Amino acid sequence: MKVSWNWLCELLDIPSGLTPQTVAARLSVSGVAVDAIHPIGKGLHGAIVAEVRAKRPHPKADKLTLVDVFDGNEVTQVVCGAPNVPSPTEPGTSPRVVWAKPGAQLPSGMTLSAREVRGILSPGMLCAEDELGLSEDHAGILILQPSDGIAIGADFAQAAGLPDWVLELDITPNRPDLLGHIGVAREIAALFRHEGVTWKASSIDVSALKGSGPQTTPASISIEDASGCPRYFAHRLSGVTVGPSPLFYRLRLQRLGVRALSNVVDATNLALLLHGHPLHAFDFGKLGGQKIVVRRANAGEKMKTLDGQDRELATSDLLIADAEQAVAIAGVMGGLSSEVSEATTEVLLECAYFAPASIRPTARRLKLHTEASHRFERGTDPNGLPAIADSCAALIVKLAGGYLSSQPTDVYPRPIATQKLTLRPARTCAILGLDISTQAQSECLEALGLTVRIDGKNLLVEVPTNRPDLTREIDLIEEVARIYGIHNIPATLPKLAMTASQPLHHGMTRYRNADRARQLCASLGLLEVMQFSMTSPERVRTGEGRASTTAPLPIDNPLREELSVLRTKLLPGLVGLLSQNLSHGLSDVRLFEVGEVFQPSGQQLPTEKTHVAAVLCGHRDYFLKPTSSDALDFYDVKGLVEQLVSGLGLSLSWQKPEQASASSVFVRVATSDEAPMLHPGAAAAVVSASSGAVVGTFGELHPDLRASLDLPSAAFAFELEVPDLPIVKPAYVPASRFPAVSRDLSFFIQSEIEAASLLGTMQASAEPLLRGVTLLEDYRQAGHVEAGKKALLFSLTYRSDERTLTDEEVQKAHQRVVDHLGKAFPIQLRQ
Amino acid sequence: MNQSDSHAGELARLFDESLSRYQAALAEAKDEPALRVVHARFAGKEGEIRKRLADALKAAPGPDKRAVGQAGNTVLQKAEELFASRLRELHELKRQAELARKLDVTLPGRPHKLGGLHLLTQVRLELEGIFAELGFQVATGPQVETDFHNFEALAMPKDHPARDMQDTFYLRGAPGEDPLVLRTHTSPVQIRTMLAQKPPVRIISPGKVYRKDDDPTHSPMFQQIEGLCVDEGITMADLKGTLLYFVKRFFGADVGLRLRPSFFPFTEPSAEVDIECIFCKGSGCRTCKGSGYIEILGCGMVDPEVFRHVGYDSEKYSGFAFGTGIERMAMLRYGISDLRLFFAGDARFTEQFR
Repeated sequence: MKVSWNWLCELLDIPSGLTPQTVAARLSVSGVAVDAIHPIGKGLHGAIVAEVRAKRPHPKADKLTLVDVFDGNEVTQVVCGAPNVPSPTEPGTSPRVVWAKPGAQLPSGMTLSAREVRGILSPGMLCAEDELGLSEDHAGILILQPSDGIAIGADFAQAAGLPDWVLELDITPNRPDLLGHIGVAREIAALFRHEGVTWKASSIDVSALKGSGPQTTPASISIEDASGCPRYFAHRLSGVTVGPSPLFYRLRLQRLGVRALSNVVDATNLALLLHGHPLHAFDFGKLGGQKIVVRRANAGEKMKTLDGQDRELATSDLLIADAEQAVAIAGVMGGLSSEVSEATTEVLLECAYFAPASIRPTARRLKLHTEASHRFERGTDPNGLPAIADSCAALIVKLAGGYLSSQPTDVYPRPIATQKLTLRPARTCAILGLDISTQAQSECLEALGLTVRIDGKNLLVEVPTNRPDLTREIDLIEEVARIYGIHNIPATLPKLAMTASQPLHHGMTRYRNADRARQLCASLGLLEVMQFSMTSPERVRTGEGRASTTAPLPIDNPLREELSVLRTKLLPGLVGLLSQNLSHGLSDVRLFEVGEVFQPSGQQLPTEKTHVAAVLCGHRDYFLKPTSSDALDFYDVKGLVEQLVSGLGLSLSWQKPEQASASSVFVRVATSDEAPMLHPGAAAAVVSASSGAVVGTFGELHPDLRASLDLPSAAFAFELEVPDLPIVKPAYVPASRFPAVSRDLSFFIQSEIEAASLLGTMQASAEPLLRGVTLLEDYRQAGHVEAGKKALLFSLTYRSDERTLTDEEVQKAHQRVVDHLGKAFPIQLRQ
Repeated sequence: MNQSDSHAGELARLFDESLSRYQAALAEAKDEPALRVVHARFAGKEGEIRKRLADALKAAPGPDKRAVGQAGNTVLQKAEELFASRLRELHELKRQAELARKLDVTLPGRPHKLGGLHLLTQVRLELEGIFAELGFQVATGPQVETDFHNFEALAMPKDHPARDMQDTFYLRGAPGEDPLVLRTHTSPVQIRTMLAQKPPVRIISPGKVYRKDDDPTHSPMFQQIEGLCVDEGITMADLKGTLLYFVKRFFGADVGLRLRPSFFPFTEPSAEVDIECIFCKGSGCRTCKGSGYIEILGCGMVDPEVFRHVGYDSEKYSGFAFGTGIERMAMLRYGISDLRLFFAGDARFTEQFR
């Protein structure tokens, strides 16, 4: 909210030494953040109001005008470059302009002098708004009318209320009372109570507003929904003359961010800015049946609001209606049909209290966030209505003439009482960790306008209805802290209550394993990235495969299509990042991410799993220049997956083991449904041996995907679920003191038989001395190996933990393994 | 000259002749295996010297055998010495050759791939560590949340204007259920933790949160870290002390802080926390907009309304909560001005913080 310093000074007696900057700084550390302070018309001296007497074109320049202006004493010719120099009429009624004479100073720091403009001497200049420091507007010079009431020759700055400062306040949602100048002034008075800031008394003489015109009957007002509208107060005014407001008020509205419209409407806006309470002026003559009904909308009811939009209303919307139709959406926006216009002479001034809960749903549904709805939904003061309405009526009479033509109407079926709260001063001290005397606490609350009575050890506090945020003891404690000064609170550390070790919080196993996965990936040479959890439906299709029926969770109100669903996999995004990084000119890129993915679950909350995924392309370590044999291949990514899987506490076996634990996994060929982003001939699945579920896939990116991303070379990827199992800490096994012995095993076999089944079979031979099987060679060169076959070379390691093995023992053990393998597969031993 | 003298002279001549050929052969052998072959040929079991000795012993009359044997041993000993000396010589040559090898040590090394954690991961782990020193345990919760956990239980009932402070992404709930939200803060973890356990509670809760915002200083996804401490006798002074400890550990021992009263629906009293500007040391600069302070987090005493929702007795227990953005911490520490860089996945950014 913007507030004018000068306006605050109309409400408060402020000692001259107290600057807006000092006040802003104190507000900021007391709960009212001041985002900015803008000077208005600062440094403007000597510009006067002058009347336009004549104008003619500059003889040498099309865009320049020679203007004769009258300053009350004499007529002077000034050269003006603005396109909007007004035409003169009769002296006394002619338009007026702001003339900065030689010697005048502008906010920019410029001092005017007489100078030649294309050969003609111009004593000073006629000013636009920006030159006067009023706004950024430089479209034309500022034009005043005689009705602005500023005398010819008057000092402009003084007449316009300059200089001023505008403070931009960030008002928190709990403080609707600060959404008007009076509330801010009250706050300043409380904060500076020890520095001589006091209230200026002011009152409105309502009887003086009745004037001498004929009196009529009060407006007929009925409330059908007292819960939505607990109170409706209205004044009737007659004989108003609608027209522009005087310049002073137009400029005040402008600098506070409100467009000046007409004197009547401006008066309601000024009252809103003063009291923080929205008011509305109806053209009484246009109200059907000359009555007001406050009711809920009928099914299918429509109306046109002031902004010219047709609004479809819901039956929950609270309306102000006349005898025939809706004339305003209560507390949100007025209707076009009863708008105040040039022709209006009779005004009904509404000053109502609407319950916050009835305003907000309507404003939100209609996406109509207005100055009025903003305040009503935060809570206004039901008991302040008559005074506010009087103040606004007085302003209308001042700006638009007219008079109060009847008694006001005040419908208040269920009066809202002030809150009576008890504050235990000891409680304040216990919460804040700071001793504040009862007397000091009482004084803080009284400074805010609360009524405090000391009752034994307690304070009995009566809270006026302009502070709807103060409903509990704790709210009062906060007010004491604010006004006493939160900076007085000391810094201590909480006493540690030692308790038996708490069990790990929910989800922490997965959380810790995710960090373990991050450390492993970083150790394996991958660089971590982080992407949004939101993605596009297209990316989900890429990750899940075209045939998949998996529907991602949609966001009802996405920022944009690309972020409209929750991701089900990490890889589609990572592949996009790979492509982006390559387009930046990088060639060896290895990225990983550990993050959450989301799937519908059928339960209240969707399933959230943590995945670890990576993409890589380019080369292994190379010297000086990579060669083709340095290019990454499938077995590089497989190596990473093997390390990661083991590091995450899973036990990776060559084949599905007979007896599988929850942590047991094996690798097999992945189908294209399981790994739609991977090359069908170079795609593998990591499968849980106990459940059979695929917990991850890895391999080479599908050539189609590679083509669509325009990747220059083959790329590789993996994506795995981070297990939700505690990583079992292994028991220490001492290294054997006895040497191991290796034996080679080399044979031919059909090339389609997978290495893993051979390795698995050898390991499953149950030979106690066999400690390891390593595949050393897979050789299938035509001419050396029969077509359809391959030659494999294994190295088998034998060792005992009890003794050094003899050649004979090793030979026998080796033979048992070879025999076991030979029974399962048609191996053809090479000699 | 008797006969045995002439036998002895003949034998010595034979041995000398063998030794001199042996010596020449040793000199020709260029490596250890070749040397060993030469050694075997002359001085081995089946070698020439032993053969000549055996012949001489056979031919020598009884009384002379002893002298022949002695002469033979002397020769064999000599042969071993020659072998050992040549072997040393060869080893030394080999060593010299090895030492003569010279590389251009200024050639570039192989570009081993160094992986790395995201800057935000590093900062998060650091923050978790700092709060662990004060006894705060990490707790987590789901990112898709119920309205109850994200708003209701945090004293933000439906149609409360405070909900405007957090622009929310909604998801359809299960049939008949309220819409779900992408959590707008990590505070639902407070609720889940307090519903699951009794005081004392001392948790720190890092994680991704979501707001419907997108510009250089607002991202639709970012990470918060939130602390909650509930026990008997916890005060706002404890909150201030805890935050001061954190600020000094993270930003530096010379950095102070101030609390400014503010509003959060789930704390009362509430405050924003500013640190003394780490760029200008409080004298005023562009980052702190001349104020000398930078806002870093929001905090307050847990609102009794929140305790009511989790079944804690607010007369018996009090507590504080605070929350900040992990990105914000990283941006301040590393001078990063655009939040979006964290999520752009550009290796050139990420690599700088390995």
